[in-house]
Amino acid sequence: MPLFGMLELPTIVSRLPTLRDLDTEVWSLPGAEILHLAFEVPRDTESLLPRAMHPAIPSYATILVSRYPQSPVGPFVLAQLRLMARAGAHPRGYVLAAVASTVEAAAALQERWGVPAIPGAVSLKRRHDRVTATVTREGTAILDCALVDPEPIAGGDVQYIHSVTLARAPLDGAIAPYLIQVDPRYTFHKAERGRPEVNRLDAAAWNAGALRPLNPISATVCTCDTDLPRIRFVMDPEVPVVRGTRRIRDSREAV
Amino acid sequence: MKFGLFYELSVPRPWTRESERTVYNNALEQVRLADELGFDQVWAVEHHFLEEYSHCPAPELFLTACAMIAKRIRVGHGIIVCVPEFNHPIKIAERTAVLDILSGGRLEVGTGRSATWTELGGFCANPDSTKKSWDEFVRCLPKMWTQETYAYEGEFWSMPERTIIPKVYQRPHPPMWVAVTSPGTELDAADRGLGSLGLTFGGFAEQEKKIAEYRRRIQLCEPVGEFVNDQVSTVNFLYCHEDDATGRATGRRMADSFNYLAAQLISAREAYPSRSYQSLGLLPQLRRQATGPEASEQAGEGLALGGPERVMRALKRWEAVGVDRVNFLLNAMEVIPQVDVLASLRLFAREVMPAFAESKPANGGAPALSAAKASA
Repeated sequence: MPLFGMLELPTIVSRLPTLRDLDTEVWSLPGAEILHLAFEVPRDTESLLPRAMHPAIPSYATILVSRYPQSPVGPFVLAQLRLMARAGAHPRGYVLAAVASTVEAAAALQERWGVPAIPGAVSLKRRHDRVTATVTREGTAILDCALVDPEPIAGGDVQYIHSVTLARAPLDGAIAPYLIQVDPRYTFHKAERGRPEVNRLDAAAWNAGALRPLNPISATVCTCDTDLPRIRFVMDPEVPVVRGTRRIRDSREAV
Repeated sequence: MKFGLFYELSVPRPWTRESERTVYNNALEQVRLADELGFDQVWAVEHHFLEEYSHCPAPELFLTACAMIAKRIRVGHGIIVCVPEFNHPIKIAERTAVLDILSGGRLEVGTGRSATWTELGGFCANPDSTKKSWDEFVRCLPKMWTQETYAYEGEFWSMPERTIIPKVYQRPHPPMWVAVTSPGTELDAADRGLGSLGLTFGGFAEQEKKIAEYRRRIQLCEPVGEFVNDQVSTVNFLYCHEDDATGRATGRRMADSFNYLAAQLISAREAYPSRSYQSLGLLPQLRRQATGPEASEQAGEGLALGGPERVMRALKRWEAVGVDRVNFLLNAMEVIPQVDVLASLRLFAREVMPAFAESKPANGGAPALSAAKASA
């Protein structure tokens, strides 16, 4: 049997977001610009991963910085650090931490999808030879990364892995920690690939323990229409997902 | 139709000092028995770093052992990763020649390019160029085997004139194959006169279409070797038991274990967007088979799992869609006890194999391959 995550859930339960309910509405997010960096990380990051999930082989993480020019809470930029993993047989990105550029967006993402978003300064900038992203909290830079030398690729070559958040959610009359599957759709308008560069990643600020970027893998920047969907699946974070998955509704759009 | 064995050599955790040795020894015992029972070939993969899924990074060594303990069975090096960071072409030519000599001309050579970031990243290989390097390697290899001296200057490797020794034992050279997982690779095989070594499970309709196109296309090929290996091979699970329900349930456990492990691997496309890996390939397909609606459907349709009659029906259908060879995975994660694997092989040989003994291969007999064997 593949290895499992080794997260000690009680150590982080107090800082988990709380969902208001599992009846989250769909958010349409047209014209999004998404910077995605992938890089290998040390194997011992399995201590950050819930016990329900399998670590990726090799261990790797992704940084997602997304600019959403339109949303129900107005324009915002969101930065996420994800530890890549498997939920049963499915590749998933476990969201370790997130920073949103507006207070409203951070609160909405927490209570609707369990994204552990806190407010901060998030920038996504395009220059002629690179796309850069920075995140600053309380005057301190906690992320500085870039895609260098972008070259056009087909949007069909890009495969974004769905996310899983860990949050407290009301279910069966009680509030308890659950893994929440967040599986947006993407319609690509433009895609570029380049070299990933992580100049600064303050692991402690990203709830990432000893995570540090090692072997760089890839970087893409895409323009697309996307969404944040209704919640379909939640999973017990302490039980292998093949046994601990609950279906909330059949489709991403169903009422 | 011919039957063979196909080894990934999966080793379940916890890994002990003996666990890998046990898996290898079990496999060798299976090969020895398969040779006695009339199986035609044994294939072993080249995989690196694929924890639990495949502990078989040096198939040429395993296959040498197979050749030494078996009298007739052919040995398939499947597949050699034709990417310079993994294997230097000179070393490929040399070690395949040695294996062909030691096996007395029983070697089959599978080629491919790797499909996981786990492996490509581990060797610091560039996923964008693996198809090109594969193409370059397969064109060089037959010449390195057959020409007295060889010199080459290419994009991925070069060498001044040297005599590459030893030469392969078979004349003109061993049959060559290419691993087919991504849609369209069967056409790459056909265009080069290479055998199609299918590594996907099930799906009669899709395979029938692919095979028909392969047969049509290979008629117009420009072979990279000295003959056309017009053959289609596919892979399947095998667990045959007198009681159909037991056979299906046990076999399904093996297939599920294999597919679940395969789903843990990082496909090249997952981590590294590239035109070179446009299709989702084998891994997502196995992922769907492990968890999706196909999970139950597959067990009924194309898999050789169950009682002898069910297994025979499945294989007759494969034969009807044009498959020349079926290579069987016998176990995964050692979920089936060795004694039961051996019993399954014996039952298959006794009850199923005779029904195919006189069958004419779907391609009409692969004369080029036959000629190569005869002169070995």
